[in-house]
Amino acid sequence: MRYALLLVLLGCETERVAPEPIRFLHTFNAEETELYNATLADRGISVEPSRVPFARGQQVIGEILRSGASCPDLIRIDATWLPGFAGLLQPVPPSLRQLDWLPEAAALAGDTAVPQTVDGLLVIRDEATPAPTSSSIDDLVAATRAVRHSGRPHPLGVRVDGYWFLPWLRTEGADLGKIENVGAARALAKFAALFGDLAPPPPPAGGEEPDEIRRWNAHEIAYWVTGPWQVGALRERERLRVSALAHAPRGGQLLVVPTCARRPAEGWRLAAELTSIDVERKAAAAFATVPSRKAALDAAPPLVSALHAALRDAEMLPRSPLTPLLFDDLNPAVAAVVYGDATADEAIAGIRRGWHRLERR
Amino acid sequence: MKRGSLRWRILVVLSLAAVVPTVLVGVLVIMRARHDVENEVKRGALAHIRALGSSLDGTLQGARRTIELAASQWADAPNDTRETQLLLRRLRREVPIVKTVSILDPDGKLLFGDPVPPNVDIGSHSFGGYIGDAVFSGGAPTVHAVVQARGRTGELMGVVVAALDLGFVRDVIAAARLGKGARVLVVDGTGVPVATSEPGSHPTSSLAGKDPVVDRALASTVEGTLSERGWVSAYRNLSSYQSLRGVRWAIIHQQPESEAYALARQTTRDTALVGIAALALALALGAFFATKLTRPLSNLAERADAIAAGHTTEGVPIAGPGEIGILAHSVDEMAKRISERAELAAALARGDRLASVGVMAAQVAHEINNPLTTVLGYAKLLLEDKPEGHADRTALELIADEADRMKKIIGGLLEYSRAPRPSEPATQTATGSTVPGASEPSAVVRHVAALVAPQLKKARASLVTDVPPGKPITIDAHALQQVLVNLVQNAAQAMSDGGTITVASKPVAGGIATQISVIDDGPGIPPGDRARVFDPFFTTKAPGTGTGLGLAVVKHLVATAGGSIEVADGPNGRGAEFRVVIPNA
Repeated sequence: MRYALLLVLLGCETERVAPEPIRFLHTFNAEETELYNATLADRGISVEPSRVPFARGQQVIGEILRSGASCPDLIRIDATWLPGFAGLLQPVPPSLRQLDWLPEAAALAGDTAVPQTVDGLLVIRDEATPAPTSSSIDDLVAATRAVRHSGRPHPLGVRVDGYWFLPWLRTEGADLGKIENVGAARALAKFAALFGDLAPPPPPAGGEEPDEIRRWNAHEIAYWVTGPWQVGALRERERLRVSALAHAPRGGQLLVVPTCARRPAEGWRLAAELTSIDVERKAAAAFATVPSRKAALDAAPPLVSALHAALRDAEMLPRSPLTPLLFDDLNPAVAAVVYGDATADEAIAGIRRGWHRLERR
Repeated sequence: MKRGSLRWRILVVLSLAAVVPTVLVGVLVIMRARHDVENEVKRGALAHIRALGSSLDGTLQGARRTIELAASQWADAPNDTRETQLLLRRLRREVPIVKTVSILDPDGKLLFGDPVPPNVDIGSHSFGGYIGDAVFSGGAPTVHAVVQARGRTGELMGVVVAALDLGFVRDVIAAARLGKGARVLVVDGTGVPVATSEPGSHPTSSLAGKDPVVDRALASTVEGTLSERGWVSAYRNLSSYQSLRGVRWAIIHQQPESEAYALARQTTRDTALVGIAALALALALGAFFATKLTRPLSNLAERADAIAAGHTTEGVPIAGPGEIGILAHSVDEMAKRISERAELAAALARGDRLASVGVMAAQVAHEINNPLTTVLGYAKLLLEDKPEGHADRTALELIADEADRMKKIIGGLLEYSRAPRPSEPATQTATGSTVPGASEPSAVVRHVAALVAPQLKKARASLVTDVPPGKPITIDAHALQQVLVNLVQNAAQAMSDGGTITVASKPVAGGIATQISVIDDGPGIPPGDRARVFDPFFTTKAPGTGTGLGLAVVKHLVATAGGSIEVADGPNGRGAEFRVVIPNA
């Protein structure tokens, strides 16, 4: 009889249903994924994560949200994608909205997202390298030229990409989606002129990031225009110094709960965990990510505080569903000029036509 | 073999010592080997699909790059109809898997080539292009490659859409050499099987959500393995194939565990058999060596039992290796010592008895001596009164002789009982030695020679002495003299036909003692009598000619002086040799 009772109890035990995991779609890299998985496991939160390639994130997530099939409970998105998902996301619950968000983080998120990190472009250098006189591009170029010598002929690190081109574009009075004036072509010409002069000739497409890291580790780069996402992967972080770059774009990563989520409350619970002070502090210490909450920033390493300070005056990208798509035309045009396939005027004209087409669509 | 015996216990210990580690190590080895083989199986499957995937990726990458080049070429001169037609013909010729190819403007309007099915996304949001999901046209899998056509300024001029025949995927998979029961499956980003190694038709509906391996493969970013439902599966993304949603295609290798791990099972079985054989051999060897090892121990035990039973001198020497040999030797030594001690104890007991007898005899002798003196005196007085030939004279002479003999016996007994003890104060020796309780043998021997000369002459015996002056020995001169006189007289009496008696001395025991030998040419002493010649009242002389106390007194004197005496054959095998060993003073 006792054995029968034991079997019954065991049977009951085995039939206990494990908590259903929270479905989480994200764009973390492998190291970030590992940290978050470990942190969430420590907190007893069951998560079923799925990674989306960042380059296709907006398209993939948009399709999922529109179809409603395999809908996740929480999604991590880039801030520029948010306008494209209008009407597909749930409003942030008041309990989360009232937390101590940094103003620049809150500005990224709006009413339908919880900010997780703030990023954007800035300039990093070694502690032995003098800071540029100001954040202006001209002073950055002058500082770079001052440290150039035969052993370091290309001391500027900058990527052939429309996002990196934005400070030059904005300095000349244009902006993403606004290149009607002549300054745009001048900006593109100036930007393209950097390569082979202060910046090395660009490597083949796709090889820029590894080449940048190699050149930084070899001390070939004195001033590197990059973002916090890259700083986390660098060695000797304590030697890094950070400067602002005028008109740099500012962005960030957001957490959203789609309207198609089966368990939105669980999605928001996971969002609260991922933006908790402890988790943000851990991420800041590990990856130099700029947290979205004041308390987490206060507890972050000095380097992260410097990154945050450098991004304080950075400018958000236009809040439009078209914004990510604009880069679809901007990137190849910038590359065409840098590689010498087209003049700045030709490229700008092409961009203009492409953007007009997007606007028409 | 008795349970609980030493051999049985050794065998049990050996068995445990052999079985437990062997089983543990064997289990670990088997588990490790199985684990290694299973990993090898998985690695092998991954390597296989990597090779297959690389082939598939290479074909598609080549096609895609050719299409991208063609798109770029067209975008630089988008309005040249003749060049565009030529370009499309070349594209179809250079890329055999291209079934249809089309050029659309950025808004999706067909400019050149084949019509495009309405469900194809021209990829205006795709950052340059993509490989779509598989579509099945008449059962044949097709995929659309969408490539943005950008001019030299980067401006989007149009989109090239090429339908690619995936028959090559099916051909590559079908040609793959697979293990027994194995199959390979390629699924697109939605989980729809594109090709399978299994002959016959295969499902064209998605396996996502139905097959956990497919779900795992589509969720994975690289590759992995999975053991589930009796199948060992390895999966890998196909990097060149990516659906519009960004989900890469996957190639999956599956094999029943029974087939995949056949080698592991065989290895396990072989390892177990080898282990069992090794164990049996180890136990057999253990039993053999246990027997060999315990035999001397058993013999030792038997010897110990015999010793305990008092049989200290029985048995043959026990041989054994190492410590056992040492132990056997020690037991032999112990038996010998016990035997000696037993003999000593017996001798002591006998000595005590003899001492008691001696004391009693001395008392008796003392009590008898006075009346016997009276008897002897009166017998001699009566003899003086009886003339020769008187009838009583013979009887009186007999009384006097016997009384005289009785006095000699009593004298011997008194002498035996009065023998000096080492604790007694030393006396001045005849040789004038001033060493208390000690004497110098050569001087004593010279004195003895003078004393016994008449008797030796009567017995026609000659005395040869070889006793050079030497160190004094721990026996006083009177006692040594008595010893030597007794021994020389015995020797003379033993040689009925005369002969030579030799008295010689030499240092022994490394110079700490002196041996004085008395050697005669007589008939010697039979070995059977040698142990008893020193016993009181033991004599080999004719009745009435000896008291049997001489050698007993000698031994007593020698032992009292801390020495020893033994008898042996003479140097030439004739006669007898008495060896007296006395420590040097």
